[in-house]
Amino acid sequence: MRKTPIAARTLVASVTALAVVPMLAACTENASSGEDGKKGGDARTLSVGSSADACELSATKAPAGTLSFDVTNTGSDVTEFYLLGADGLRIVGEVENIGPNLTKKLTVNAPEGDYFTACKPGMVGEGIRAPFTVTHSEQEQQVSASDQELIDQAQANYRAYVQDQSAQLLEKTKEFVQLYEGGKDDEARGLYPVAREHWERIETVAESFGDLDPKTDAREADVDFAAGEKWAGWHRIEKDLWPQGAKGYTALKPAERTTYGDDLLANVTELDKRIQATGPDALTYPIDAIANGSIGLLEEVANGKITGEEEAWSHTDLWDFQANVDGARVAYEGVQGLLEAKDPALAEELTAKFDALQAVLDQYRDGDGFVLYTALEPADTKKMTDAVNALSEPLSKLTAAVTS
Amino acid sequence: MLANLLIGLREGLEAALVVSILVAYLVKSERRELLPRIWAGVGIAVAVALAFGAALTFGPRGLTFEAQEAIGGTLSIVAVAFVTWMIFWMSTAARGLGAELRGQIDKAAEGGRWSLVVVAMLAVGREGLETALFLWAATQAGTRDTVGSVTPTWEPLVGAMLGILVAVALGYLIYRGAIRLNLTVFFTWTGAFLILVAGGVLAYGLHDLQEAGILPGLHNLAFDVSDAIPPSSWYGTLLKGVFNFSPATTWLEATAWVLYVVPVGALFLLRTRSTRPARPSRQLQEH
Repeated sequence: MRKTPIAARTLVASVTALAVVPMLAACTENASSGEDGKKGGDARTLSVGSSADACELSATKAPAGTLSFDVTNTGSDVTEFYLLGADGLRIVGEVENIGPNLTKKLTVNAPEGDYFTACKPGMVGEGIRAPFTVTHSEQEQQVSASDQELIDQAQANYRAYVQDQSAQLLEKTKEFVQLYEGGKDDEARGLYPVAREHWERIETVAESFGDLDPKTDAREADVDFAAGEKWAGWHRIEKDLWPQGAKGYTALKPAERTTYGDDLLANVTELDKRIQATGPDALTYPIDAIANGSIGLLEEVANGKITGEEEAWSHTDLWDFQANVDGARVAYEGVQGLLEAKDPALAEELTAKFDALQAVLDQYRDGDGFVLYTALEPADTKKMTDAVNALSEPLSKLTAAVTS
Repeated sequence: MLANLLIGLREGLEAALVVSILVAYLVKSERRELLPRIWAGVGIAVAVALAFGAALTFGPRGLTFEAQEAIGGTLSIVAVAFVTWMIFWMSTAARGLGAELRGQIDKAAEGGRWSLVVVAMLAVGREGLETALFLWAATQAGTRDTVGSVTPTWEPLVGAMLGILVAVALGYLIYRGAIRLNLTVFFTWTGAFLILVAGGVLAYGLHDLQEAGILPGLHNLAFDVSDAIPPSSWYGTLLKGVFNFSPATTWLEATAWVLYVVPVGALFLLRTRSTRPARPSRQLQEH
């Protein structure tokens, strides 16, 4: 066995790989910057200024196609720039390591839809976010007429669902706050998980309002008390209604109850106002946002509900679990017609996995509701986790499949 | 200035460490004739990275974000394989040192010699593209037109270069220190250290692939200590540069790190603990 030739081959292969991979990898046209000294020569070239406390874009809109963001760091700390999907999670593109005084370019192919831009000075946290819109343009792939019909229908249906759930959430929240402020604790406890179901079904939409979500749905563990943050919303009231598990807890006085109750109602009212808005303020639900919403709701299940962290005091996690699954399923069914045209095998698999997950959940029904989380054994949560994971894996392909 | 210096330091550290340990090893085991291969590997990586960086920065075509992450992630995982090989190759080859088996070991390690070039190349080239893009951006910052508050400045390039120089200087210090150790100690410590480095590189590569959407679970964090260890602080920079430690680590990264470090570490400890010199696998057929 002579080793040299093999080793030499390895070497050559590696060098070639280093050199060729970038060539084979998806290349994209660098957007040309303004010619003839014209500033911002075209609408697809944007400039971003990232400082310690601001993220300034030359425009918050661009026509669909290959966009380029020239990101300049005007602060004194290293920064990053992200273009995120409508769910605020999916990374469409990012540039890292932008040192002070540097300009780096992000080039992305962005189809029509809603996005978020984010600068992250210091490379930590959520970043400084702002909505960004990519408008329709001729450069985009043409969608066939029949597809367009399906898309329009899916969007109309999903909007109707979200608005309906939001209206019901408002109605039940009013009722709940009335019971709670009036000291009718037992009835309030009964209504709590039922009212919250409507929130959980549209959680991904509700969470997209970064100002309302922390005030309404923050868990105690997520609040930074040291930094002076205040804890309010559903879970604050939950703790007051189920204080058994809390050591040394002082019950809220009637006046305090009124403060927290009214605050919750005010925020839910504001949420509903935004969801029901018409005209220029109306929310849009691009097809990838609907698909990503379905994926996001299932992630919510995996991250909070199965672990019993969401309802730490009332242990009504399974109501939330079911509601997340409802929302994920409705979002999926909205785009199912599109999916069946593009990837029938995936559609079949998703339908089967949704059914399987529902069958697992149904085993834990109790009267109109569910058993409490505290009644579950590790074997039960394992069963649920397995069913959720079995669904998450194919579901993660949904967005790519329906937008292809 | 400091922020750009720290970026240069972070990008340069890991490469400087791996290369300095390799060089120390070759010098200690009196195989200086192999040193040019290391420098060749370093040279190729630097040249390729700078050339691509320049082409992407100034040329008509750029890389999509996904492609850039996929290249970084894939190279990281390949680099882990080679660094792991290097750890075990060093400890195997070490056993023949000072014995008359040297010649045979060298023959057996002939394959290894070529791989040395690749190790050096990957250590430098893994983050080479990202670093090159950063350096070219810094160069552009020196020559750009003034637009509003944006003025031309060479400060970022100077900062980045200083950072890389500091990384090289640290690498040299490690080399000086390693040279002084006795062989057994040298192998045990450098091996254990490189296993931790490789574990970090693996986690980092997987994170790149998660960001590109090739792997799932980008938002399922195992822990997030960003408040205690800000990534732009000097200690955050050192932890990232040496061990690829990320303050916000996903479950996939954490799991991969444990699944790599524990078995490889155990195997390595077993091998270094057994003092019995290994017999060369093939006897020379010379009469």
